[in-house]
Amino acid sequence: MKILVIEDNERVANFLKKGLTESGHTIDHADNGRDGMFLAVSEPYDAIIMDRMLPGGIDGLGIIVALRKDGNKIPILILSALSEVDDRILGLQSGGDDYLVKPFAFGELLARLDAILRRKQESSNESALNVGDLNMDLLSRKVTRAGKSVSLQPREFKLLEYLARHANQVVTRTMLLENVWDYHFDPQTNVVDVHISKLRQKIENGLTKPMLRTIRNAGYMLTVEA
Amino acid sequence: MLLLFATPIQYAWHEIVEERSTERLREDAQRLKNVLERHGSDSLKAVIDTLVEAQPEGDEKFILLADSKLARVSGNLPAWPRGLSIAPGTYSLSLDLHSRIVPSIFIETTLPGGYSLLVGRNTSKFKTVETLFWVGLLGAAGTVLVIAVFGGLLIRRALLAEVHDISQTVSAIIAGDLSRRLPKRDAANELDMLAQTVNRMLDQIEHLIHAIRNVSNSIAHDLRTPLTELRSRLEELVLTRPSTEETFVEIDTAVTDVDRVIAIFNALLRLAEIDNGARRSGFVEFDVATVVNDAVDFYQPLAELKGVVLAFSAISKFNAYGDPLLLAQAIGNLIDNALKYAKQEINIRVEASHRQDVAIAITVSDDGPGIPDAEKGKVTERFYRGDASRGTPGVGLGLSLVAAVAKLHGGTLEFANASPGLSATLFMFPELISSDPLN
Repeated sequence: MKILVIEDNERVANFLKKGLTESGHTIDHADNGRDGMFLAVSEPYDAIIMDRMLPGGIDGLGIIVALRKDGNKIPILILSALSEVDDRILGLQSGGDDYLVKPFAFGELLARLDAILRRKQESSNESALNVGDLNMDLLSRKVTRAGKSVSLQPREFKLLEYLARHANQVVTRTMLLENVWDYHFDPQTNVVDVHISKLRQKIENGLTKPMLRTIRNAGYMLTVEA
Repeated sequence: MLLLFATPIQYAWHEIVEERSTERLREDAQRLKNVLERHGSDSLKAVIDTLVEAQPEGDEKFILLADSKLARVSGNLPAWPRGLSIAPGTYSLSLDLHSRIVPSIFIETTLPGGYSLLVGRNTSKFKTVETLFWVGLLGAAGTVLVIAVFGGLLIRRALLAEVHDISQTVSAIIAGDLSRRLPKRDAANELDMLAQTVNRMLDQIEHLIHAIRNVSNSIAHDLRTPLTELRSRLEELVLTRPSTEETFVEIDTAVTDVDRVIAIFNALLRLAEIDNGARRSGFVEFDVATVVNDAVDFYQPLAELKGVVLAFSAISKFNAYGDPLLLAQAIGNLIDNALKYAKQEINIRVEASHRQDVAIAITVSDDGPGIPDAEKGKVTERFYRGDASRGTPGVGLGLSLVAAVAKLHGGTLEFANASPGLSATLFMFPELISSDPLN
């Protein structure tokens, strides 16, 4: 995908450029607000990674607000050293699609970038999610794996639904905490891991092909690929 | 103001007095008229003479009987008062009685036979009283004025003195002496209230600065360890130059070290955010029991893994005003803590508090080793790790956060012995919005 990175810190920018290129994306970079704004409106990008604090007269939020006002719906991932809850809320309200606090782990950024890229494409009006032989009926809240019914508690269903919506993508623990439990803090213990283990037991049962994979240093992925 | 009130009073008084006087004079005149009608003019003359002679001291009455030509017939006035008309009625005039001028009031009556009868009395007595009244009034007004001005000056002096004291103390505080407080005078006036409030503010500021100093010390001390380890690890790489693969393993671990430090910073930032009360702007109405229940659900799988039962009970639904996310994190921390030490069971209860100044008590009790009484007060300090925690993960900020969240919601975090084990209770929410008991 073609990604625009608007970031004034040289080291972070290089880090992003290298990492994202290695993951198969094409990167354009602007190190100030004015140039970033210019590129954003004149070139077609698939997503923008935007730092909030930018020199050049206009800051990250200003660019986002201007783009949205223009009707531009491009997925935007906000990067910021500003970590307070209000900052995050402001960022998302201004039109950002996700908010990542610096310093961040690259795996986290990559996972979230993929998530917002994917979000653009899918619609949320489906009544069922299918990943391989896993079937989730979103209306009746019933789950089957290879035809056999799987009994899940409401939170487990929500967890599986999120993984299914991001099938074949890396989903980090933080993403799960935020989207499945609405928790915006780090519980310091591997509580999420235990939830995943339990879910894995239920949907895999040892008999069928494993599909809930743990990605080292990154998170989890629901996938049928080997 | 006084004059405003006094004038109608004076007027009314005057009227009443006059009315009383004239009433009596009219009676007198009527009696004399009767005498004339019944017994003739000679009798009248005699009666008048008698009356005049028998005048009581101090109440000077005047009677004059005059004929149709206004010539004196009888009475104690030398002549018909100059300028007084013949028409009957009530008159006030100043009598010129050779040696003095006398204010008086007269009733003039026309009698049969062409006579005119004047019956009157000396009103100087009343005039005196009237004058006295006005003198007294003005005197009082004057005195009040003087007292007011003088008193005002005194009050102003006292006020300025107090304000001067306050400003001096404040200047000293600004210059850096945080231990100073404004003097209290027990005057129970507004300035005193102000002084008390300012003193409380200063207490809070001193407390916060003290806390910040402590935190800075703690941070310096406790971050040094992971940072030192990190440095050693990296320096060792430079010194020993192992194989590329080994190097990358070490670098990976170094990244984890850095993450640990970052996590500590984040936790501290969050604590600071909560302590500052900045999060109050995010307060909403929510159900406490639901939030706690969700937190219990969140830790359920982990508890199962450890073989510990999480028992949750809530007696009512509690709507309260606060930050549900912070509460979730706080309860999470308590449960997380309990899971580290519990043997078989952890009880989580949400109930109405019996204390008067708080409304809700959320209690997490475990059946582990508990905390010795001596440590109970210290566990919420930043970076504090008790003896029992040796060997368990964590940096010592979890309970600090719980205490901070409790404080933000107007409450406290308290520990008690659960015998066995520890009971941690979050008391909070004095502003309870509504609670309806479940059935």
